[in-house]
Amino acid sequence: MSYRDRPEFDQPTAESVQRSRRTVAWMIALLIVQQGTAIFRHGADISVQVMGILAWAAVTLTLLWMVFGLPVRWLSERDQAILNDEWNCAISGDAARWGISALAIIGCGLMLARIWEPLDAGLAIYGLVNGALIVTVLRYAWLNRAEPGEDE
Amino acid sequence: MNERLGNRLKERRTELGLTQGELAEMCLVSRKTINTVENGVFIPSTLLSLKLAEALGVSVEQLFWIER
Repeated sequence: MSYRDRPEFDQPTAESVQRSRRTVAWMIALLIVQQGTAIFRHGADISVQVMGILAWAAVTLTLLWMVFGLPVRWLSERDQAILNDEWNCAISGDAARWGISALAIIGCGLMLARIWEPLDAGLAIYGLVNGALIVTVLRYAWLNRAEPGEDE
Repeated sequence: MNERLGNRLKERRTELGLTQGELAEMCLVSRKTINTVENGVFIPSTLLSLKLAEALGVSVEQLFWIER
């Protein structure tokens, strides 16, 4: 076991971001579904809908940040290199491929569905974006599951 | 054609008494990257292969080879 200086105690390290990437990802799909119910609740006040959409946008952007690893400026160069290392780039790419496939499949499904049933634009956008995001995040979470032991 | 990348990463690392975490720290990657390369799950880039070879004091050819 080795120790490393950590002068800024209020800021997360690469290890803590990695830990949250592994644990939080499973929860986010549920959050999106929960927010969807707020956005599309019948007879909801406009302010409630706006709040719901803002919350949805925040979760969506957080997801993209988590999966695709946008620059995290507070981290040292070493931490940034570890967080966005080759394994992470590889699984992000794989997750993105799954997400794009899901986008195409859901899109085709919606196009077919509109032949028989008129589609609400908001609901269609929500379903398309979230379906792809959920698939992406779950794929990422699956590939990034539990840190293996030294000899596993 | 069924090809895979063979490696003696674990063997060499153990010889030097390094843990995966320590080797990861030396190459500035996560421990998971080292673990997946050792297990043949992940094929490292040329850059990472060179870093690994340098950290373990061997040539890339001694560390990696193509298994057919």
